[in-house]
Amino acid sequence: MSIPEASNQHVGIEWQLYRNMLVTRLLEEALVRWEEEGKISAQTFPSKGQEAIAIGCCAALENGDTVIPSFRTRGSMIGMGVSIAEQLREFIHSPLAAGDSRDAPHHSSWPDRGVMPGSTMIGGHLAMAAGLALAMQIEKQDTVSLVFFGDGTLGSGDLYETMHIAGMWRLPLILVCENNGWEMATPFSQVRRTRALTPYAEPFGFVTRSIDGNDALDVYHSTRWACATAREGQPVFLDCMTFRLGLYSSHFGEVRSNIETDLAEWEKRDPLKRMADWLIGREMTTRDELASLKRDEEQKIEDAFNDVRGER
Amino acid sequence: MTTMSYRDAMGKALEDSMREEPRLIVIGQNIAGHALRQLAETYGVERVRDTSISESAMVGMAVGAAMKGLKVVVMIAYADIASVCHMAIVQSAAKLHYLSNGRLNCTVIIRLPIARFRGHGPEGNEVGVSWFYNVPDLNIAMPASPNEVYWNFREALQRRTPTLFFEDRSIHARTGEVAAYNPGGYAQMTRSGDRLTIIGAGRAAALAEDAADQLAEQGYSSAVEVVSLGFVKPLDKNTVLRSTSKTGRALIVQDEPVWSGYAPFVRCLLDELPAAKLCCAPCILAGADRFLPFWDERPFLPSTESVVAAARECLK
Repeated sequence: MSIPEASNQHVGIEWQLYRNMLVTRLLEEALVRWEEEGKISAQTFPSKGQEAIAIGCCAALENGDTVIPSFRTRGSMIGMGVSIAEQLREFIHSPLAAGDSRDAPHHSSWPDRGVMPGSTMIGGHLAMAAGLALAMQIEKQDTVSLVFFGDGTLGSGDLYETMHIAGMWRLPLILVCENNGWEMATPFSQVRRTRALTPYAEPFGFVTRSIDGNDALDVYHSTRWACATAREGQPVFLDCMTFRLGLYSSHFGEVRSNIETDLAEWEKRDPLKRMADWLIGREMTTRDELASLKRDEEQKIEDAFNDVRGER
Repeated sequence: MTTMSYRDAMGKALEDSMREEPRLIVIGQNIAGHALRQLAETYGVERVRDTSISESAMVGMAVGAAMKGLKVVVMIAYADIASVCHMAIVQSAAKLHYLSNGRLNCTVIIRLPIARFRGHGPEGNEVGVSWFYNVPDLNIAMPASPNEVYWNFREALQRRTPTLFFEDRSIHARTGEVAAYNPGGYAQMTRSGDRLTIIGAGRAAALAEDAADQLAEQGYSSAVEVVSLGFVKPLDKNTVLRSTSKTGRALIVQDEPVWSGYAPFVRCLLDELPAAKLCCAPCILAGADRFLPFWDERPFLPSTESVVAAARECLK
């Protein structure tokens, strides 16, 4: 059984989702390792356990749509077709780095691919996403602007200003929250009343959907629906329930306390494992084949890093 | 050349830009139905858009629209409110061109009318230019005349980085000629003389021109040259240095306190001149280092009289 190549077409989508989530996880693991080995200096905010959100969303986008990453959505770059080599060039200031290694690597942009610059100012990038949507609406481009953010952003005034305007103007905007229930070391229950975020967005004129952020197919299909909805002039808020299985960042490590039970529970819902089970359950692949795929992708990442280092 | 008021030149700059640039939009509060009603009737409420009172999101959205190639004018009600959207101006607007390695432009004008002498009180009578003076890639315009207000605006719309546009309502009624060509953001020598250069921007430059006219009547005919900066950042250093080299004396007038802003910058700039070029140390006449009361801001700010007095000191 051969594994089809990933593509931006909506065929073989299950494979595309699995492969892109796998590449995201392997790349982030490699980035943390390379940093420990002193080969790169930028810190990584691993999306382990949350990969389905960026990958599922981006798989649903069409040419001309744009995405603004959060700081934990490297998958959005992979999902929008930015190669591993292109991403790694930004980490090591390769002379071929398209962004000249100016922006922090988790915010690197490829405007020609629809990946726009993120922002370190939590919430500030939401208004920029609304501005992209405004331009699309004015110029009747029939495209959507999608933006990722963590649930800590619920404290940012820019979220509410953006929803206030975008809801009223019916912008083709999709807000995607990676709702992992933690604001770095602080559980959501200490900073807001409810885990669910849909009640925050509805009064502003957003249609909302609470989705299983650990199910790449749910994310993908929900985003397809969201795109169709947003193109019709109805902004959408996707509340993706998830849990971070990895470090807060390579610099800070694990900062949460008393999460052993949650970790054990959410590891059972690991999006990569679930997608693998789905594919195997439908006899679309075997464990051996997936193990082989993993070795291949790991090697490709190592090769890309070596190639890119050779450019300097 | 056409003679018109500062206020009308501002309106004409916007009108001409809207006509010539189909991808230009204007966003602000109470504009389509009030401040820019005529423009909205001509170009539609899609391009002349009323927003809620959300300055941070307004600037952020302008940056996002600029990523798609639109040009955007953001109308802020008055200059003090720049503090509300400081993050969006500095982090989102100013840095876009840099952090995208020039792949994205940010042709955004943020209009920040200075609203002094209108009884707005300490939260409505600030200038705020100096709050932003150390931000790279941020153009800052302080037009002093109808010509500058018109051409600085048109010039800003040709730049790939954003512009803070500090028009001053206290000089709205000043009239003057608008030239037929764009001076390209260079400083303008608006009075010619050979013994003293007065350097300023916005209202301060207007005061300097009035002072030069009064001094001419007081026996200092052809003595005072005025350099009106227009853009205080980037700043036209050559015109400042050339004029000051010629006259040998410099008086820099600034509405804001002296801690920061173009006045201390220009004074440092003049250190580049050989010592023999200056007859005396450059002087600064600046606003008082205090907040301004609503009942009368004037005692704490430069005036035509104080500029005349300072100039006479320099000319002794």
